[in-house]
Amino acid sequence: MTPPTATTNVSPPRPEVVTDGIPRRRAEWIERATSANHKSVGILYLGTALCFGVLAVIELVLLRVQLIVPENTAIHPDIFDRVLSVFGVTSVILFAIPFGLGLIGYIVPLQIGSRGVAFPRLNLLSFWLYLAGATTVYASLLWTPPDTGLAALPPLSEKAFSDVGGVDAWIVGSALAILGFVFFAINLVVTLHTMRAPGMAWRRVPLLSWAAGVGGYLLLAIGPVMLAALTMLFIDRNYDGVFFDAGEGGAPLLYEHFAWFFFTGAYTLVVIVAAGVISDVLPTFTRKPLFSHRGAMISLLAIGVLGPLAWMQNMYTAPIPIGFEIFAMLVALTLTVPVGLLIFIWIATLWEGTLHLRAAPLYALGAIGAMSIGLAGELAYSVIPVGWQLDNTAAAHGDTFAVLAGGAVLGGFAALHYWFPKLTGRMMGEGSAKAALVAILAGIYAYALASFLAGLKGQPADVYKFFEGNGLDGFNLVASIAAFVVAVGVLLELGNVAYSWGRGVRAGHDPWGGSTLEWFALSPPPEHNFDVVPDVRSAEPLEDIRRAIRERTESWRSPEPTRRAEPVAQPFEPEPAQAGGADQDPSSDAPVA
Amino acid sequence: MAPVRGTRRTPTTSTAYWIAITVAALLVIAIHVLGIAAIVRFRARRGRTPRRFSAAQGALTRPAVPLVIVAAGMFIVGVVMAGAARDVKPTGPEGLAGSRSLVAQVGGLAATADTKPLTINVIGQQWLWRFEYPGGRQGDRVFSYGELVVPVDTAVVLRITSTDVMHRWFIPTLGGQVDAVPGKTAETWFRADREGVYRGQSTSFAYSAFSVMRAWVRVVSPAAYEDYVQRKRTELRAAQGYVLRRVAKSAIQGGGP
Repeated sequence: MTPPTATTNVSPPRPEVVTDGIPRRRAEWIERATSANHKSVGILYLGTALCFGVLAVIELVLLRVQLIVPENTAIHPDIFDRVLSVFGVTSVILFAIPFGLGLIGYIVPLQIGSRGVAFPRLNLLSFWLYLAGATTVYASLLWTPPDTGLAALPPLSEKAFSDVGGVDAWIVGSALAILGFVFFAINLVVTLHTMRAPGMAWRRVPLLSWAAGVGGYLLLAIGPVMLAALTMLFIDRNYDGVFFDAGEGGAPLLYEHFAWFFFTGAYTLVVIVAAGVISDVLPTFTRKPLFSHRGAMISLLAIGVLGPLAWMQNMYTAPIPIGFEIFAMLVALTLTVPVGLLIFIWIATLWEGTLHLRAAPLYALGAIGAMSIGLAGELAYSVIPVGWQLDNTAAAHGDTFAVLAGGAVLGGFAALHYWFPKLTGRMMGEGSAKAALVAILAGIYAYALASFLAGLKGQPADVYKFFEGNGLDGFNLVASIAAFVVAVGVLLELGNVAYSWGRGVRAGHDPWGGSTLEWFALSPPPEHNFDVVPDVRSAEPLEDIRRAIRERTESWRSPEPTRRAEPVAQPFEPEPAQAGGADQDPSSDAPVA
Repeated sequence: MAPVRGTRRTPTTSTAYWIAITVAALLVIAIHVLGIAAIVRFRARRGRTPRRFSAAQGALTRPAVPLVIVAAGMFIVGVVMAGAARDVKPTGPEGLAGSRSLVAQVGGLAATADTKPLTINVIGQQWLWRFEYPGGRQGDRVFSYGELVVPVDTAVVLRITSTDVMHRWFIPTLGGQVDAVPGKTAETWFRADREGVYRGQSTSFAYSAFSVMRAWVRVVSPAAYEDYVQRKRTELRAAQGYVLRRVAKSAIQGGGP
């Protein structure tokens, strides 16, 4: 592809292939399963991840049913362990990460003005590896499910203490999925490096794509580490290995380091992707550019680098030298600066803008709120003596829940609302979405607060029962009800997705007045995304195009007074008359019409 | 609502805890107040136009300065308080002090062999805590399960390990958590200022029964503690003697024990 030699913001038509290819002859599902188009793969990822999101919600409800009253006997302790372990892998590895990846895989090539991805078949393979891993984990439910908790820390996960095949299924399934994510990251990073539209320097890359790039490198760093750890654990279990067997000179703490490096990185990935979504959604709905594109980029990069390096923040209680703990605390506290700046940038973006209270920005703001309480808690726990006191209690668990639910669920729904028209050509419903938002947000806040107070009283995370008379009854009741409310909200919103998929209001190619290139393509985009890829001159290429059109329209003298054209029936009017004027130049804000 | 009270170790933890929680709460409140104010004030209304501005060069320096100060302050608090919490304080005047080798007192000066704090081995196993008291030869030590009895106002050092999977020692009102890892020995300490029972439980997932892997520390007067150890020793010897006699008898008769 030769770089265009355009003199205007819109490239002149070049000879391009504009066909959708030969007519399809194969069945729909075969097309869907085998198409290496990044959009098809993205939809597969998103749909599968949402299915596992539903399963995670069901599992969370089961766990909280057991903890609703003290010394409950509703669920057998062994069943509880299995649900707990499956919930851990489902919520993080089978829902939160692939949901973000699906979104990235669909939107990022569009955002950077690319007609495809660098390694489309690798991309498709990554999805099938993820699905194979997920199937492996869930197939074990038919025999003996895993029961070793979120991270399956040895020696508990060694053969001597957990002889069930479910743990092997957990290891193989997690490894397959993570291998898929690593492949996905390779494709993503190469695509971002080599396939950006002409003129799209790094400083002009939209923030979701930037976050995706940071997240891609992050996955390349953390994924192989976890793969190594899982391989060693598998060898330990099945081939008489002694990697983590303390009795034979192995080191159980080694696995803990590996696992926490991965899970801290995964947590960081969720935060980064959510931050990318928020940074793209807020400017569109406030009708003004992000307060500092560059600042947000640097902050995201800093979070991506520092986040996984704080892994030992989860190991304050382990027998490791105090110097390691101080290093982890230093890294974790340094994260305050980029995270704080990012939140500052978001609030400054709202300032003096016109915030349209649609579902997408409301979900984004909800995500900021929920993540802020979780991250502030994280800040407190990273102070070593506080970590000694509260690590692995219900308090720390509630905080993690607030960040992951805020980032993956609220941030995910914000992204769905924003990009759903692009994915399907239809709008999502607004009324039920706002009701669902209220439920999810109230649930997350109540859950985090109740868990925090229970943790202060010493209730551990992951217990299958708690005892009467320790002052924990009320907190657990509230947390259980809050989890049920979250579940209702999530299911309501998923119903909205399912309904809108087939019956939503038709959307145009740019229903929100977005300023990034994905809104230049049709909704849904054709196979090759763009007939013409515009030249990129700033971080807001569509804003440039609108301005160019406006300027030409103004300079053209009509023989009779121009009438303002009726807007196409769109649910959201982007107020073109008010978006006039050059960026960063308030003086030229005069209405154009 | 402070998580910890009642021991000489905990004031530092408690101070660090309150500082950290206060800072975190202030940040959360600031974010929510600013965010809600922005939503209410700058939402789209008829006739309002957005002012399209973005940050000038260096506009993020000013918000960065307080964040750096917060992070640096918390770091200093963390380092200082962690150091203070790890320092084993000497046994108080009401504590267990004696010339016997069983127990001794830590003076302000360098500890000699005679003036060690009370050291107790804590061994986690699925799903019990075993406590081994000082004194006696290996194999003839006084031990107990579940309940640890210690004298009041005495520095107690716990040497924590595990015989099977990872467990975690945690009595919320007697200081922080410590992992019991097989093959490794971790140390922590506490000094209870008041008599009473302090309860806690393991916080490290080790199958469902870890939910009932409780431990409680009964803090008693030094005299009562010595009585307890003495009684335990007598009981244990009696029990062992009984077992030995049974074994010997069975061996003579040629049957199993």
